[in-house]
Amino acid sequence: MKLQVNGVMHEVEASPTARLLDVLRGPLGLTGTKEGCGEGECGSCTILLDGLPVNACLVLAGQAEGAEILTVEGLAAGQLAPLQQCFVDDGGAQCGICTPGMLIAAEALLRRNKAPDDAEIREAIAGNICRCTGYQRIVDAIKHAAVVRAGGAS
Amino acid sequence: MTGLVGKPGRRGDLVRRVRGEVCFTDDLRLPRMLFAKILRSPHPHARIVGLDATKALALPGVVAVLTGKDLPVRFGIIPWTPDEHSLVVEKARFVGDGVAAIAALDERTAARACELVEVTWEVLPPVLDLDTARDQPAIGLGASGKDNVSKVVDLAFGDVDAALRGSALVVEGDYHFEGTAHAPIETHCALARYDSDGLLTVWSTTQVPHYLHRELSRVLQLSPARIRVIQPPVGGAFGGKSEPFGHEMVVAKLAMVTGRPVKILLTREEEFYVHRGRHPMRMHFAVGAQRDGKLTAVDAKTDIDGGAYSSFGLVTTYYSGQLLTLPSFAPNYRFSSTRYFTTKPPCGPKRGHGSVQPRFAFEITLDKIAVELGLDPIEIRRTNAVPGNSTLNGMRITSNGYLECLARVEAASQWKERRSKLGFGRGLGVASSAYISGTNYPIYPNEMPQSAVQLKVDRSGVVTVFNGASEIGQGTDTLLATIVADELGLDLGCVRVVSADSDLCPVDLGAYSSRGTFMNGNACLMAVREVKHKLVTAVAEKLAVPPADVFVTRGFLAARGLENQAIPVDEAIRLAEARFGTLGATGWYKSPPGLGGSYRGGTIGASPAYSFTAHVAEVKVDVETGFVEVVKVWCAHDCGKAICPSLVEGQIEGSVYMGVAEALLEEHLVDHRGLHAGPNFLDYRIPTSLDVGDVEALIVESIDPEGPLGAKEAGEGPLHSSIPAVANAIFDAVGIRLDRLPFSPARVLAALEAKRSV
Amino acid sequence: MLPLPSFALYAPTTLDDALALLRDHGPDTTLIAGGTDLLPNMKHGLLAPRHLVSLAQIPALRGVWVEGDVLRLGAMTNLETVAAHEVVLTRAAALAEAALSVGGPHHRRMGTLGGNLCLDTRCRYFNQTYFWREALGFCLKKDGTKCHVVEGGQRCVAAASNDTAAALLALEATIELVGPDGARSLPIRDFYTADGIANTTRAPQEIVVAVRVPLRPARASVYEKLRRRAAIDFPMISLAARLDAEEGRVNALEIAVSALAARPRMIRAASQAQGKSLAEVPRAAIAEAAFKECAPLPNIEGDPAWRKKLVRVLADRALRRLGLGPA
Repeated sequence: MKLQVNGVMHEVEASPTARLLDVLRGPLGLTGTKEGCGEGECGSCTILLDGLPVNACLVLAGQAEGAEILTVEGLAAGQLAPLQQCFVDDGGAQCGICTPGMLIAAEALLRRNKAPDDAEIREAIAGNICRCTGYQRIVDAIKHAAVVRAGGAS
Repeated sequence: MTGLVGKPGRRGDLVRRVRGEVCFTDDLRLPRMLFAKILRSPHPHARIVGLDATKALALPGVVAVLTGKDLPVRFGIIPWTPDEHSLVVEKARFVGDGVAAIAALDERTAARACELVEVTWEVLPPVLDLDTARDQPAIGLGASGKDNVSKVVDLAFGDVDAALRGSALVVEGDYHFEGTAHAPIETHCALARYDSDGLLTVWSTTQVPHYLHRELSRVLQLSPARIRVIQPPVGGAFGGKSEPFGHEMVVAKLAMVTGRPVKILLTREEEFYVHRGRHPMRMHFAVGAQRDGKLTAVDAKTDIDGGAYSSFGLVTTYYSGQLLTLPSFAPNYRFSSTRYFTTKPPCGPKRGHGSVQPRFAFEITLDKIAVELGLDPIEIRRTNAVPGNSTLNGMRITSNGYLECLARVEAASQWKERRSKLGFGRGLGVASSAYISGTNYPIYPNEMPQSAVQLKVDRSGVVTVFNGASEIGQGTDTLLATIVADELGLDLGCVRVVSADSDLCPVDLGAYSSRGTFMNGNACLMAVREVKHKLVTAVAEKLAVPPADVFVTRGFLAARGLENQAIPVDEAIRLAEARFGTLGATGWYKSPPGLGGSYRGGTIGASPAYSFTAHVAEVKVDVETGFVEVVKVWCAHDCGKAICPSLVEGQIEGSVYMGVAEALLEEHLVDHRGLHAGPNFLDYRIPTSLDVGDVEALIVESIDPEGPLGAKEAGEGPLHSSIPAVANAIFDAVGIRLDRLPFSPARVLAALEAKRSV
Repeated sequence: MLPLPSFALYAPTTLDDALALLRDHGPDTTLIAGGTDLLPNMKHGLLAPRHLVSLAQIPALRGVWVEGDVLRLGAMTNLETVAAHEVVLTRAAALAEAALSVGGPHHRRMGTLGGNLCLDTRCRYFNQTYFWREALGFCLKKDGTKCHVVEGGQRCVAAASNDTAAALLALEATIELVGPDGARSLPIRDFYTADGIANTTRAPQEIVVAVRVPLRPARASVYEKLRRRAAIDFPMISLAARLDAEEGRVNALEIAVSALAARPRMIRAASQAQGKSLAEVPRAAIAEAAFKECAPLPNIEGDPAWRKKLVRVLADRALRRLGLGPA
């Protein structure tokens, strides 16, 4: 089957009935997307499907055919994207297992809302469980990234 | 000091984490790798009468099956209580106990094959609560088979009965805690490879690679020299990965049997079965005081529900009493703690091992005494702050920032102006605690170092730290890099840290008991100072000045008065290599001898240094629904010295978050059938970003004389008093006392109604 | 981690093709909308269809249309879209609020209105893995004969847990289906039954096409959800209220409560508001009556006695938000 991932069309040997998460992590080798529960309850497998964040453990590969998929590996080609840089600078990650999903949820938010407030950020990442940080630094990092993306000071 | 220590900085390792490049254990894949699944017991207590895996083996894609007989050697983290089998040999002791393991070409086939294993069970009576454990000894879960007792500790200091009799006030109460889980987002995962030359390599999501190394050797009856243990970065642990587990033995054995790499990834449900979460406890506290608020005595009786196996239970039982004697305490103390076995998932250490539960009971009692006597709850804590440099149970205090912690939260929360003045439904509560910075007790008795690093210094100007300690998200790699870079004047990017690989790194006992910063930091400091000495000597010779005149600054070594001839660090390294030969150093830490009391058990809970914490919580109680909102928590924590302040703040925030979640939401419940009430993330509720309030982390520095650069722990201490601070704030808000965790809205509403009807 | 069983997936692009697939593959066929509930249920062995027919590629099922005084929502419209739609927000607010309260944000992107309306009932003894349910000895709803909620119970009382159902009940919505015998539509009140095993009247070969919500002037509606966390959780009580008012008087008040047992319930006492001026509506009495009419069961998490009390609180809050009763 064919999957468009991070801007590249891939021919993948996979069943359309496989979980998209398994196809990404297995044949495509994109292990940045993590699995925390397999039941859509933790958000660590969050990816963008046509620009919208979804849990890749709840999507069949066949449901993603023809769609544009973005994973954490696609956030930046060379230098870190401002969003990633802000997570580093502001301590928005500790163990890092929820971070790829968190970044993707934040990316989706910042694409449609250039200057989100705290409440909007918290709502956007409410499907992504972090067990380490207590979220405040993640919220700060996303808010910071919005400023940087808008051309403000980093 | 070259400007890195004590400054807000970023973690170098986060760059790879935010790119999704860090390989966690489940991200590793090896050629010809098989997948394993474990068949688990559906009964809380049952004997295996028959087991037939013929049909499972016949399923296409199945490569091997293991049962308990294949791994007959028992193991356990505490050398005196090895009571676990990798797979059940005779009796299953909880729903979820591993019974058989399958290795297959893929996960689905392995799962299907598990269902084809035929087990005949003789069901035995379960033990699902503390009363049954105490009252029905004949069930015989204990080591003797004659009772259900895991460990009893009775210790007394002073004359408690006389002191209580002579008290103006004695407050007694019962407190209940039903247990919580670590629930890291990364479930347990292990991968094993057995090479044809006889080397077994095991990658695992462990916090204790060294203990895993030892127990693999014991269970597989393989020389430790034939085993390599690698701990990849861990996606959250919180104590839940701090002992060897059956599934680690199982994949190792399967790799040996099949000659192929074998991986296992536990499901979210299985994560709740391997558990080792915080012990349920039932606590009775009687605390006496004089009119001025001076405490007279503490009398504590605690029943501990240990679940199916010993785990760290011996230590838990001691910690339930031994870690209470700081920071505010009485001069007389007695505690009696009994850990029982039950047929439930085994309990173990969770962030704040054994001491979070009694802290909850004690700090509420202290609040009750303050209210009863009309005293300010912060003041009564000051009144009873343990003076001097030792506690009544013989713990040595080398640095103490407790009073400053109290002052900081008092000021930051505007305690004096706002307490009891926020109107019905809103309130402030205080609580405080202390915790160990590692234990001097090395799990298995030995005289060797508890922590060690080796430094390799490259003439390119790069220093590699080979570090036995475990990076589990808390940032030890960054801590070591900061120490090394700061001592040598290097940029952080010129220090690489290689951690937790038994072939590459010296032994460290692991990431538990908050020992990392103190012990690992000291080991690293020792090694880097040896290197620094060589650099300084070589530079002094080059500049023809006395070594004492040479100093390290950012990027350079220079001599006083000759600053214009400063030598870049990489050049200094080359000078030193020419002068001394290939550069490297080892450093280690061993806690000083003689810590703790001289009575039996007096060394358990003894630490080279103690951290101190104070919390003030502000809550809003919805009196119609019972919902409690923790609006804000101020947490002041004495970490000795914040080498990496951002990491310390992260640990404080994470601890408060986890503690408040235990106060309000989380409950690890096993029902009357022995079934976990909801082994998933829908029923076991972790707060989302919408369910948490503000946390203000306040760092207090007391500069411990033995800590690395003065540092002590920060990873576990700041959890303890967050829970009673919330409880005490609820009392301030609406006048109800909650003695059972969590403070669910149903319980809060029931308590409010009971109060109204009085 | 949790492998999916094997099945075949079809993605028809027309309703006719979808119906043909349902017909051709027989009873071993299940529809998949967003999959956010179906796929975990399949991983838990709660169902194991050999054929899955996806509705995602059928354009006719997606969209929100205003047709005169009717708001029509395609069944495959995702919940995020429903929650954010201007007309839903202003003219059918209870539906917007309910859609916004489903799961977490990611669920609302994949999850659809039709999928939510057809959400399987939930129970603490049912929504578990196969291993867990086997250890329990299974239950009335699936693979077993015993009800663990009601001692000796012969009828499954698993809870309707779809947020949007209560809102659409209060809003007098109509549901459109198409099946082998053609199209039909029925009031959503007749869509749900008291049977927890299958709590809708949708036949296995029928497809929910759309929902029609009447748009009335001077109509207001609200939704209240009881849950422990502000995201991800299913409702512990779900309550929607709708008010039609004219010149400061109540023309009609309806209250729907769900997450009790299999069928959402309309509160009879809401009729007490009829004809009263807004300020005279006996809010407390209606809330008290709602409390008495509802009997939450230990079928989902949360102390039933507390959930029952919260019916009163939620009803009171909903009516207060509608401007009813004393300020």
